[in-house]
Amino acid sequence: MLSAKMNPKILLIDDEEPILRVLSMSLRSDGYEVITAQSGKEGLELFKQASPDVVLTDIRMPGMDGLEVLKQVKEIKPEAEVIIITGDGDLEAAIEALQNDASDFINKPVHDKALKVALERAQKKLAIRRQLDEYTYDLENMVKIATGEFERKSSFQAKLIRSSNDGIIATDDEWKIVIYNPGAEKIFGHPRSEVVRKIDARDLYPPEIRQLFELSAADDGSKKESAWLETFIISKDQERIPVRFSGTVLREQHAMMGSVAFFQDLREIKRLERDLLKAERLAAIGQTVSGMAHCIKNILHGFKGGSYLVNVGIDKNNTDKLKNGWQMLQRNITRTSDLVLDLLSYSKEREPEYEVCAPNTIADDVCELLKESASDYHIEIIKNYSASLGDVLMDGRTLYRSLMNLVSNAIDACIFDDSLTKKHHVQVTTALEPNGFVRFEIQDNGSGMSPEVKDKLFTSFFSTKGAKGTGLGLLVTHKLIQEHQGTIDVMSQLGKGTTFIIRLPYRRVTAE
Amino acid sequence: MSKKVLIVDDDPDVRLFNTTVVEENGYTPLEARNGEEGLEMIKQDKPDLVILDVLMPKQSGIRLYRELKTNKAFQDVRVIVLSGIAKKTFLRSQRALTEFGDASVPDPEVYLEKPVEPEELAAEVKKILG
Repeated sequence: MLSAKMNPKILLIDDEEPILRVLSMSLRSDGYEVITAQSGKEGLELFKQASPDVVLTDIRMPGMDGLEVLKQVKEIKPEAEVIIITGDGDLEAAIEALQNDASDFINKPVHDKALKVALERAQKKLAIRRQLDEYTYDLENMVKIATGEFERKSSFQAKLIRSSNDGIIATDDEWKIVIYNPGAEKIFGHPRSEVVRKIDARDLYPPEIRQLFELSAADDGSKKESAWLETFIISKDQERIPVRFSGTVLREQHAMMGSVAFFQDLREIKRLERDLLKAERLAAIGQTVSGMAHCIKNILHGFKGGSYLVNVGIDKNNTDKLKNGWQMLQRNITRTSDLVLDLLSYSKEREPEYEVCAPNTIADDVCELLKESASDYHIEIIKNYSASLGDVLMDGRTLYRSLMNLVSNAIDACIFDDSLTKKHHVQVTTALEPNGFVRFEIQDNGSGMSPEVKDKLFTSFFSTKGAKGTGLGLLVTHKLIQEHQGTIDVMSQLGKGTTFIIRLPYRRVTAE
Repeated sequence: MSKKVLIVDDDPDVRLFNTTVVEENGYTPLEARNGEEGLEMIKQDKPDLVILDVLMPKQSGIRLYRELKTNKAFQDVRVIVLSGIAKKTFLRSQRALTEFGDASVPDPEVYLEKPVEPEELAAEVKKILG
């Protein structure tokens, strides 16, 4: 059993030397380590030195008796087991000993068996206590380690939350704010001390966010947390602060245990965006001005040329020269008014003027007008009109100018194409789409565009055409189409060609 | 026989203007609508002077100018550049091409920006052709 293994130390106290001898011999042969004393006083001294696990003491001794030894031993080492040896029938002493926390008593004369049982019982108690001590120690240690780990983690998390640039607000299950980091302080303006454990978070949030939280709290939690939402926070100083918000209701099983909200301060980003927009606008103005200056220079050159020809015609009485010069002047007057018209169209809002018109006829007018200059460059204009497309309600001028712009662009794309082998064409298609739109498709197999050029098409005053381009054409077209509730799309491949698609809402002409 | 002046420009108005100036001053005008046509006509008709636009379809004036200045066969052909773009823009694009490994070319002897007065153009043509 336990005895041999534990090998406990026993202090044996008895004033009768022969008993001491016999008992100690018997105990040693059982594997115990035994020390002996012949008086209570001597015994206590030995106890203090050797700190045995078990004390076996006679109760009746001259000087310090067994009861006194018991009391003092328990004082020094409460967990020590003390077994009292009593005279036969000395029940009173035995009871007193037990009351004083003796572990057991045995009667004199000491029978081996009784001693063995008492010792084993004492040892068992010792072992249990030791185990308990160990458990307690382990437990305490584990608690200490766990607490340390927990503290480390929670301090890490607290630091994380504190140092986050985002505003973080967490609440308990009754919306009371429990976490409110400096990021949140910066956005909401309320100092932490005014908020934590004092304010219902819902009173802090704008109605939109409050509603999201309340909806989320009311459902069963099956919905995932919300995606980022851009909104405004009204701060303590009544400032409107742009933020991106994301948040979620925290649940344990299905019950709400709290909520957490994250706010990204967008003030800096918005400021940068504004600056960028301003810079872009300035750059756009710069490009327009230089594009326009270029265009105007060419027009002026035309005016000079025209008046020169008129002068030569008058001087030499040459009607041909006069006529050519006059036509040149007229052409450049048209170019000037086109430019001005483009500028005006671009700079002011215009409501579409709906009238009955035939899209096919308008497309054909444009194609016929441009056919001649296209054929100069051996570009074929292919007409592909849908016969089922009759009269519709549409702003005819919008359509005319948009098609004019896109078809001449397509012709230019063919002229500017470097390919020597291609047979160039521009195809104009009209169609009625089942989704209630009239589609105009202008497709060419000219130079095409690189993705960079394509990206810039509608965004800034941008021209690849040098002498001819003001950078206004597509911008104006885009604007006109938008005002007409239509869309404009472009597909292009460098070297292969470009297709523009305009879709305008189909309005049937009602009989009346 | 009068000296030949080739006008290379994609704008018909400019060609009409320039040919009239050239004609009125006693030279024979020739016309090309882009750099490619221009180069063909320079090879075939061997003009004494080319009045060259810069921004044109097919081959641009920037390329044609380099061709005229680097090809020995054309060393006697004189050039006036007449363009809507500023002289410094033209020079910058020539320098950029040189940096990308092309041969370096001299600056044009005459560079006129549109709009140009007919008298000014006539004077430059006469100065070169005598």
